Amino acid sequence: MRIALVTGTSRGLGRALAESLLGDGWTVHGFARGPQALAHPAFRAHAVDVGDEAAVQAAVAAVLETSGRVDLLVNNAGAASMNSLLLTPAKKAEMLMRVNYLGAFHCLQAVGKAMVRQRAGTIVNLTSVAVPLALSGEAAYVASKAAVEALTKVAANELQPHGVRVVAVGLGPVDTDLTRAVGRDQLAALNVRIGRPSGTTLAEAVGFVAEEWGGAPSSTGTVRYLARLG
Amino acid sequence: MSVFNREAAVRLILLRLARLGAELGKPALAQADEQTRLFGEASHLDSIGLVTLMSDLEEDIHRACGVRIVIADERAMSRLTSPFRRVGLLADHLVELVAAAQA
Ligand SMILES: NC(=O)c1ccc[n+]([C@@H]2O[C@H](COP(=O)([O-])OP(=O)(O)OC[C@H]3O[C@@H](n4cnc5c(N)ncnc54)[C@H](OP(=O)(O)O)[C@@H]3O)[C@@H](O)[C@H]2O)c1
Repeated sequence: MRIALVTGTSRGLGRALAESLLGDGWTVHGFARGPQALAHPAFRAHAVDVGDEAAVQAAVAAVLETSGRVDLLVNNAGAASMNSLLLTPAKKAEMLMRVNYLGAFHCLQAVGKAMVRQRAGTIVNLTSVAVPLALSGEAAYVASKAAVEALTKVAANELQPHGVRVVAVGLGPVDTDLTRAVGRDQLAALNVRIGRPSGTTLAEAVGFVAEEWGGAPSSTGTVRYLARLG
Repeated sequence: MSVFNREAAVRLILLRLARLGAELGKPALAQADEQTRLFGEASHLDSIGLVTLMSDLEEDIHRACGVRIVIADERAMSRLTSPFRRVGLLADHLVELVAAAQA
């Protein structure tokens, strides 16, 4: 039985990723703050704020208690905010860093130790095409995801000798709560810019991320985007 | 709740070092004692070995005492003498961490 831990499983991409893993026979532990409606015999919901180090440590301990190991960690929980740099409240920047970067950091650390003990494991961190594009209007979000990408590369170097693979996967706009506040025109223009004029469906996004544990895993330290970046 | 004293801590560390030595092809680790250096000059462990040792010990302590500890905590990092320097110092640190977690 393969064991996965996916963060941000209460909705959007995280929930869809969890459903896809469950469909493939995995046991999935899901972390989110809010209620998790996903009902499946092999799904275990944990109420966790990923930005809270102690809460993450306790929840990962609970996962290890029930499942004994973690083969796959998907650091998917995330938040976004659209604001020009000079109009972004510092509190917002702090919140994005806390959820997107520290959330991944805490989970990576807690699960990474278990994977080092196992001498095996895969960690997939979610990022965005907004990083390589240095997208205007998303400074705080882009900075937090750039930190996730940097963390991915260092973690890959440090954990490779222990048999643990760490990669990042970056998406363009996908229709979830995260992008609902953004104007349609803006999203359409971004989709054209990344060579995907008809956009990316949730199913396509899931398929792309799932390559990391399915058919075509990339080598450790890789940051892969679902986009054609010029 | 089981008692986790210094003797038990040293025993646990030496057992782990011996296993790690076998895994890493460094048989000298099986001869370690309280004075054995864990990190830095004259140590048989590199940073990878040290990470493996700490992760394994955290799990050993959970099994033995039923508590989850984080060995590389703020206290360890801010100590004048690093608990990672020698086996004996690490044993002292583990005893303190377990006592705090059991309190
Ligand atoms: N959608 C896109 O266009 C897009 C594009 C590129 C990258 N991404 C990345 O893909 C990931 C998923 O995005 P999404 O579109 O699915 O977003 P979403 O629909 O807004 O869902 C975000 C998920 O993260 C969880 N979450 C947020 N803060 C959390 C916290 N502090 N602790 C625990 N869980 C937390 C939420 O659960 P609770 O609120 O219940 O805690 C929710 O389950 C994110 O990392 C995002 O940056 C998305």
